[in-house]
Amino acid sequence: MEIAIAGNPNVGKSVVFGRLTGVGVVTANYPGSTVEYSEGRAKFLGFTMTAVDLPGTYSLAGNTDEERVATKLLFERKPDCVIAVMDSTRLERNLVFLFELIESGYHVVASLNMYDLLRKMKQEVDVARMERILMIPVIPTVATKGEGIDSLLYTAVQIRGRSKFKVRYDSHIEEMIRRLESSLREEDWDYPLRAVAVRLLSGDSNVTSKVTTEVCRLVEQMRDEFRDTHGEDVVVHIQRDRFGEAGRIAKEVHGGLPAAEIGSRLKDITLRPAFGIPILIGVLALMFVVLVFVGGFIEGALVSAYEQTAKPLFIDFGAGLNNDLGRGIVEGVSLSIEAMLALVIPYILVFYLMLSVLEDSGYLVRIVSLLDSTMHKLGLHGRAVIPMVVGFGCNVPALLAARTMRSRRERLILAVLITIAVPCSAQTAIIIGSVGKFAGPLWALSIYVILMGMLVVLGLAMHRAIKFEPTGMCIEVPDMRWPSLRQTAVKTGIRLKGFLTIAFPLLLAGSVVLEALLAMGVLQQLLAPAEPFMLTVLGLPAFTTVALVFGILRKEMSLQMLMILSGTSNLALALSNEQMFVFALVMAIFTPCLAALAVMLKEFGAKATVGIAVASFSLALVAGAIANFVLSI
Amino acid sequence: MVPEVTEQYLKVIYTLTEEGGSAKTNDIASKLGVSPASVTEMLHKLSRQGFIDHEPYKGAVLRGKGIRIARKMARRHRLLERFLADFVGTRGATNHEQACKMEHALTDETERNLCRMMQRPESCPGGRRIPKCEGRTTCDRCTSSDVPLELIEEGQRAIVSHLVAQDRDKLCEMLSMGFVPGTEIVVEKKLPMNGPIIVSLKGTKVAIARDSGKILHVVKSR
Repeated sequence: MEIAIAGNPNVGKSVVFGRLTGVGVVTANYPGSTVEYSEGRAKFLGFTMTAVDLPGTYSLAGNTDEERVATKLLFERKPDCVIAVMDSTRLERNLVFLFELIESGYHVVASLNMYDLLRKMKQEVDVARMERILMIPVIPTVATKGEGIDSLLYTAVQIRGRSKFKVRYDSHIEEMIRRLESSLREEDWDYPLRAVAVRLLSGDSNVTSKVTTEVCRLVEQMRDEFRDTHGEDVVVHIQRDRFGEAGRIAKEVHGGLPAAEIGSRLKDITLRPAFGIPILIGVLALMFVVLVFVGGFIEGALVSAYEQTAKPLFIDFGAGLNNDLGRGIVEGVSLSIEAMLALVIPYILVFYLMLSVLEDSGYLVRIVSLLDSTMHKLGLHGRAVIPMVVGFGCNVPALLAARTMRSRRERLILAVLITIAVPCSAQTAIIIGSVGKFAGPLWALSIYVILMGMLVVLGLAMHRAIKFEPTGMCIEVPDMRWPSLRQTAVKTGIRLKGFLTIAFPLLLAGSVVLEALLAMGVLQQLLAPAEPFMLTVLGLPAFTTVALVFGILRKEMSLQMLMILSGTSNLALALSNEQMFVFALVMAIFTPCLAALAVMLKEFGAKATVGIAVASFSLALVAGAIANFVLSI
Repeated sequence: MVPEVTEQYLKVIYTLTEEGGSAKTNDIASKLGVSPASVTEMLHKLSRQGFIDHEPYKGAVLRGKGIRIARKMARRHRLLERFLADFVGTRGATNHEQACKMEHALTDETERNLCRMMQRPESCPGGRRIPKCEGRTTCDRCTSSDVPLELIEEGQRAIVSHLVAQDRDKLCEMLSMGFVPGTEIVVEKKLPMNGPIIVSLKGTKVAIARDSGKILHVVKSR
């Protein structure tokens, strides 16, 4: 049997979901959209059931991407039961969503979640009364502690009835509903005609596309008529009646004022500019420091441990094969394992943990609000800050974080900015380790200045080119709360799994191919035609080509390759200051590493990925050429 | 609280002096259906309390707080007459009598919602102009204080009056978050550098970008 979990954002839906399901949770984008939903299995009383965690929405009207996905999922899956998760402290608004579920004829069980908050404020909900009014089971739950989850599941499994509760709209709207109902045929629809009529009136495109043109015209005529006599769109009145009804019910079962009103105002210093901005800078700096230093430290420890234990085994094994191709493949496997160790645990895991804490604590929304206007100037939404900051640590989690952007266009702009103009910690290592160390800090600094300039110019240019206004946001700012350990772990686990499945195969294949080519000596030959170009246009010696190519595999490898190929760890002997500058600049802009490409492939598809790869490749060469030209004058 | 009878007297004086001049004792008496002697007595009392200026033989004129109360009563009376005539569908003199009784029981909120529900009528069925509302019950059209959200100062309360949106999706999204007409909101914070406006709506904080804030038209309250 199928259970869908629906509800407003920030009501603890995914916590309920996490409690219901155990293993085998899959998170995926709904086909053709950027909206994620999760699905998992659970066993209960001998039933095996599938639970679907719908995206959090405020309504089922299909006006936002989330709403469209939620409605489509409900429609496709035809769940045997819908669990409506509600925030007990915000009954009124949550009730409105519940009305829509009931109206659409689903078998609804309401879960009054976060009931502990209500108890803490010495309030309660008259559950029995609420059940009588709404004619559905209502179960108080505290999902974070697992309270009430069993009875919720028990009720959900057993429920076999529709509620007869109806929201009464004003007489004019009821009249229109009656007229519409009589012109529709019951057998054409999977949900009650009343719901169809209401959705038609509110202009839900999912429904309007399915009715005959005749009905469509009738609806249009009714809506125009309504607007003429009442001066407002009929949707406004429908929603007003729903909220009116919800307010009445909330008052009846709860009595007290909305709980959250108490003292919420002054306490929230995170939104007052005087405190909020320093706090924000602190948090962002902390993220950066954690990613660059803690991540770097873990990476160093893991890689050296790997080099001392497993790597020699691989190398010995490879050498024992006595075959260039075989050795290449074995070393490629070893290299990709090393790369995964160096990437996944220190950067991806650490980042996912931080992101999950930021999300669950409610701070992410605050960052977004505080920086919204600044980011708008670059054609982005306030949410873009996180990926940008993260990008200085590692591009891979930054690209993953880009999915928090609402529209595909914003995500694309952000991806380009991150991969091209934001140097990741490996690129920083190259800049510092070559130019900074051998040519002096001023040279290194000028690379950063160039990159930041590119960031602004690219951002503005793309903002102009991709004609589009960042979506005006309207988001709920949830109260700050402590994220739960369990939820953080579950979320991080799911995301990590998603990343591994896509990045590892690609990295493995890339490493094996490159190492095999190098081992057989084919790589140098393949790259030979590029050497004159490197020499004349970029002013770089031939051996740097191989280093650049290895940079695609993993950025930090290109510095190692440079040292190996030049035969000295003192790069100043092999390259002039100008050459190092050009090399570091090219590397900083160059094609993103394989893992980043893998993520882009997953998030944006092949076309955009190839586009970004080619663009960054050519931009890097152009920038290098210009730098070489300017420096050689 | 002003006694009902005072409200009644003030309203009548308002009606009689609406086109200028002063209210004569006899006119008041016939309107209220009481004897001129008791009217005179009441006018003395009202004058002592500072609601009116009363000169014997010339008549009564409203002043200060008297005007405010009278206008409010007249407004309620005429709104109710309109309501009875247009919505309830009763006709004739009984409407006036019923409105006379009901006007004293109305709360400010009811008055405001009634006015909005009827699309802010301009006049009563008898053709008299309905006075505009004032004070903390400010209602949209009357004082034309209906403004986009961004013009509300930090810390001020406001009531959603209507939503102006070309973009239906945006409109529906805001509606489903609870920004329906009649809801009270508090502007908590307007973030600097043209940042979003943080609004508190029944205890929930919502960040609205300035451009989306133009959709929401509100009326200042208090």
